[in-house]
Amino acid sequence: MTRGAEQPTDEELVAAVLGGDRERFGDLIERYQGRLVNYLFRLLRNADDAHDLAQEVLVKVYQVLDRYDPQYKFSTWLFRVAQNAAIDQIRRRRLKVVSLRQEDDEGEGRDWDLPSPERGPYGELRNRERGVAIQEAIDSLPWEYRELILLRHFGELPYEEIAQLKQMPLGTVKNKLFRGRQMLKEKLQDFLVD
Amino acid sequence: MNRPDHSTYREWLTLDADGGLDRAERARLEEHLAACPECRHLKEEIQGEVLALNTLLRGAAVEVRPDFQTSVMSALPTAGWESRSPRAWRFTAAVILLLGVAAGLMVAGSSAAPSGLGALFAVGGMLRAAVVAGAGLAGASWKGLGLILDRVIASPLSLGAFGFLVVALNLFLFSLIRRRRPAVQPSGRDPRT
Repeated sequence: MTRGAEQPTDEELVAAVLGGDRERFGDLIERYQGRLVNYLFRLLRNADDAHDLAQEVLVKVYQVLDRYDPQYKFSTWLFRVAQNAAIDQIRRRRLKVVSLRQEDDEGEGRDWDLPSPERGPYGELRNRERGVAIQEAIDSLPWEYRELILLRHFGELPYEEIAQLKQMPLGTVKNKLFRGRQMLKEKLQDFLVD
Repeated sequence: MNRPDHSTYREWLTLDADGGLDRAERARLEEHLAACPECRHLKEEIQGEVLALNTLLRGAAVEVRPDFQTSVMSALPTAGWESRSPRAWRFTAAVILLLGVAAGLMVAGSSAAPSGLGALFAVGGMLRAAVVAGAGLAGASWKGLGLILDRVIASPLSLGAFGFLVVALNLFLFSLIRRRRPAVQPSGRDPRT
C-alpha cells in the first residue's frame, strides 16, 4: 500500500478503513484535525463548539465512508461536509451578531483564547488584541470572500480543491482570494508592520 | 490570447507568493518580470506582505485538544458498511467453504449413494453427527466441571489456590486489554498540517 518511505495517501487510508482496518481512520483524523478544528473555530467563534462539531463531522464521514468517491480529494469531501455542518449550526443558533467576546458559564465576557507566543503582561495583551483583530477582520469580510479565505488559510486547501468544493471556476477562486486577502491586509495593517 | 495588463501581474505576484499560480501563468509572470523593473521591484515587497499575513493568521491557530483523536475514535459507531466489508465476510466464507469441501469429500467417498439424494443424506448425516458430538462434548464438560469443583472445595487450601488462580488470570487478561490501546497511533503527519 505504501510506496517506500512515503506516507499513504488519503485515498489509500480510506481504502484500508473500508477493507476492515478501522484504526487507519485515526491516521486521517491526525492528518486533518488541526485544519478542521481551526476552520470550524473561525466559523463558529468558539473553540469548544469547533471541537464538538469537528468530532461530529468526522463521525458522520466515517459512517458514510463507503460513499466516498476516490476521483475527488478526500479533503474536498471532508471540508464540504464540515462547511455544511457549520452553516447548519450557525443557522440553528442564529449567530447573526458578530460577537468578539465570548460568555462563560457565569455570563461574564471573556476574550478569545489564543496561543501566546509573546510572554509577559504586554505580550499577553498584544496577543489578545491580535486575536480579536483577526477574528474581527475575518468576520467583516463579505461571505463570498470569507468562506474562501477560511478554506485557504485555515483549511489549508489548495486553490484547485477550493474551486472544486465551491464549484467555481479556478480563475474566480483566485480573484476572490486575492481580493479577500487585500481586504484582510488593510484591516490588519497595524499587526503586519510589527 | 490577450496579454494581461500591469495590474494583473501584480495580482499574479500575490497569488504566486501564496502558491496559487499554475506553471503557464508562472512562466508568463517570469517573462514579464524580466522586462519590467517596476514589477520586479514589487516582487519582494509583495512576497513579504503575503508571508507576514500568512504568519499572522497561522499564529492565531487554536490548539487541538490532546485527546481529540482518541475521543473521536472511541465515538465511532459501527457503520452500516462495516458489516459488508470483505474482512467481516472472510470468516463466514471460510466456514461455508470448509463445510462444502467436507460435504464434497463425504459424497465422493460414499459408494452406496452416488445420486443427488445421497449427497443430501450425506450432508444431513454430517450435521447430525456434529450435533451429537457437540451434545456429548457439552455433557462431558459439565461432568468434568463438577468433578473439578468437588476437588476445589474439598479443602480450604485448594479453595484459596483456586481463588488466587482466578485473580491472576483476570489481571493477566486486563493487562492484555490495556496493551491494545496504542493501536491508534498515526503513521505520520501530513506536511501541510
